[in-house]
Amino acid sequence: MSAGPPVDIPPRLAFHPAMVHAVRKIVIVGGGTAGWLTAGVIAAKHKSRMGAGFSVTLVESPNTPIIGVGEGTWPTLRSTLARIGVSETELFRQCDVAFKQGARFTGWTTGARDDFYYHPLMLPQSFGQLNLVPHWLARDDGRSFCDAVCPQGRLCDDGLAPKTIATAEFEAVANYSYHLDAGKFAPFLQRHCCEKLGVRHVLADVRRVNLAENGDIRSLDTAQAGEFEGDLFVDCTGFRALLIGETMGVPFKDCGDVLFCDRALAMQVPYASDAAPIASQTISAARPAGWIWDIGLPTRRGVGHVYSSRHTSDEDAERELRAYIGPAAAGLTARKIPIRSGHRETFWKRNCVAVGLAAGFLEPLEASAIVLVELSAKLIAEQMPACREVMDLIAARFNATTHYRWGRIIDFLKLHYVLTRRTDSAFWRDNLLPETIPDRLKDLLLLWSHQSPWFHDEFDRVEEVFPAASYQYVLYGMGFRTQVEASALEGDAKNAERALRENAIQTERLRAGLPRHRDLIRKIVEHGMQAV
Amino acid sequence: MAIELLDPRQHGHLRLRAAAPEVPHFVQILAPEFAAAAACCPVLFTKDTTTGGFFAGAMFGFKPGENLLGPPEERGGFNPLMLQREGFFISEQNIAIDREHARFSETEGEPLFDGAQQPADGLRAIQRTLGNIHQGLEQTRAFITALLELQLIESIDIALNFDGGERLTLQGLYTVSLDRLRDIDDAAALRLFRAGHLQLAYAMVGSLKQVPRLARLRNQRAARS
Repeated sequence: MSAGPPVDIPPRLAFHPAMVHAVRKIVIVGGGTAGWLTAGVIAAKHKSRMGAGFSVTLVESPNTPIIGVGEGTWPTLRSTLARIGVSETELFRQCDVAFKQGARFTGWTTGARDDFYYHPLMLPQSFGQLNLVPHWLARDDGRSFCDAVCPQGRLCDDGLAPKTIATAEFEAVANYSYHLDAGKFAPFLQRHCCEKLGVRHVLADVRRVNLAENGDIRSLDTAQAGEFEGDLFVDCTGFRALLIGETMGVPFKDCGDVLFCDRALAMQVPYASDAAPIASQTISAARPAGWIWDIGLPTRRGVGHVYSSRHTSDEDAERELRAYIGPAAAGLTARKIPIRSGHRETFWKRNCVAVGLAAGFLEPLEASAIVLVELSAKLIAEQMPACREVMDLIAARFNATTHYRWGRIIDFLKLHYVLTRRTDSAFWRDNLLPETIPDRLKDLLLLWSHQSPWFHDEFDRVEEVFPAASYQYVLYGMGFRTQVEASALEGDAKNAERALRENAIQTERLRAGLPRHRDLIRKIVEHGMQAV
Repeated sequence: MAIELLDPRQHGHLRLRAAAPEVPHFVQILAPEFAAAAACCPVLFTKDTTTGGFFAGAMFGFKPGENLLGPPEERGGFNPLMLQREGFFISEQNIAIDREHARFSETEGEPLFDGAQQPADGLRAIQRTLGNIHQGLEQTRAFITALLELQLIESIDIALNFDGGERLTLQGLYTVSLDRLRDIDDAAALRLFRAGHLQLAYAMVGSLKQVPRLARLRNQRAARS
């Protein structure tokens, strides 16, 4: 029997472009928190490809100090760290970590002595089913919004931790994030990325960025380690923005006209004793020309004054800071940090994407820096373009989402200023000038005077940086009033009643059952937490 | 508590009463006891509230103060070592007692020591129990460490609806994950088997069948009263 003629297989490749340039070599430049988090998130997501042609290389200058901005984080960091596979126990042991359960804002509304409110991390009771704002407003019983709908303000006041030693790693009894020593966090991530995730670490100074004919970045010349080629370059070089700014020429969009603070003075303040309580909330204390952050780590407090140089002098700003800290400030020197509020006009151009300070920076009022790094890294890792041919499409998506996020953060930070009733200084008065308020925020304030922000409306993006609950806590913490028609509430009155009662019960249960913050940290360091 | 090292000169006059008849609803047990425990009640892990570390326990009831299984003779003779040794502790190589524990009396019970200041029978039995506990703790610790290394411990939520309409949700309990046990590689399985850990794991998982039995006993008790 003779074989028939060979069957022609139709050329399926005809449906594809003749040549594809696969994206396999990821080169991250810069080794701070942004660089290592991005490396970790990408390497973990592409674990099965690592070593099989796909590589993540982080090039870091041996000479550039890490800025270590913001020691505050968002609860997203828990899932990010869990995903890249680090141990939460080791995080506490190696990075001087404390728990963060929210922020306590003092003096933002009236500046009076008793003026404070909480922006906690727990959602209001029954948030998924019911908006408690109008019910709380209708009651008008003098209870703060936070205390009426959530236990966390009381937990912070009591100095309690958000979990117990029997709670598994990354799990919470009360929602939490971390206060951490950024100078230790980056090396901690580095060890994990290199030892467990296969990230290649190169200590070298970038001397020159070489472009291809089409304008893509082709390679980096380094002083110590030769040339590095890459398919995608991630700029984590901080304020310098070596790739996105210096090389790709993407302009910086300043937003100092909305957010006035442009300088910070920071100090590291020791505790009076090893047993001194550690605050589990960021304290943000308003000042005549800015505000002071006060963040408790187990080993020290990080305290800093963020201010507008148009409204005060460096000398006066330092005096404010020293007055806040008190006698403990004697003998300490303040580190001066310039702030340029704003972001790049484009975050991903050609084969270069910026993450972290290279993408932009805003005053650390709501600890938005690290969460933006996480969100950007996740977006890059999940939508990693398969080849150069589709990269511009992914870049366009990335830019749209990231633009949206920066806009929302700027709105949210400005919200803290526009709700003030302070008129005691030009800084606070100027913050109310209409031309300094973004249009979108103006529209929202108009909307919110008739209906409160909640679950569905307006916040339809899958990964909104700040959930509607955050807007609720700030608005109603600062005395904003939404008009409520009592008769419209009747249908839900019973459920609201139940939710408010449930919150009171939960508050007392948690206050009775949670350990003191410092005690839990000590136990975690000594015994460790279980993984389950 | 008043912990003192046991000393015939100091404690020669002390007498030992039977262990208290009230059995806690969850009693710590050790690896050598798993088989006997699993034959009469659920064996589960829970966490020590001071260290967060796992320990194993036998469940005699669903709520504090509830013992659904009656005295030892009604549970096939199973009597946890930790109950037998009540009032006694190991302090390095020595035995210590809680002088304030209700088991110790100057008038009731059997003497701790005989006329020659030697341990009497009751105390000898306690000495054996403490020796067993010492070994059992080591074996249990090795078992738990092996399970954690292979990530084989998983939390289990037990939700129960009783005849009277009462609902109970038991939290903070853990067992061995059969799914993950199936996924371990052959070398790890062989190690678990050779170390005697595999039968402990299966005893725990099998003992979950005791949960509905315990619930039935609780319904019957409620129906009688």
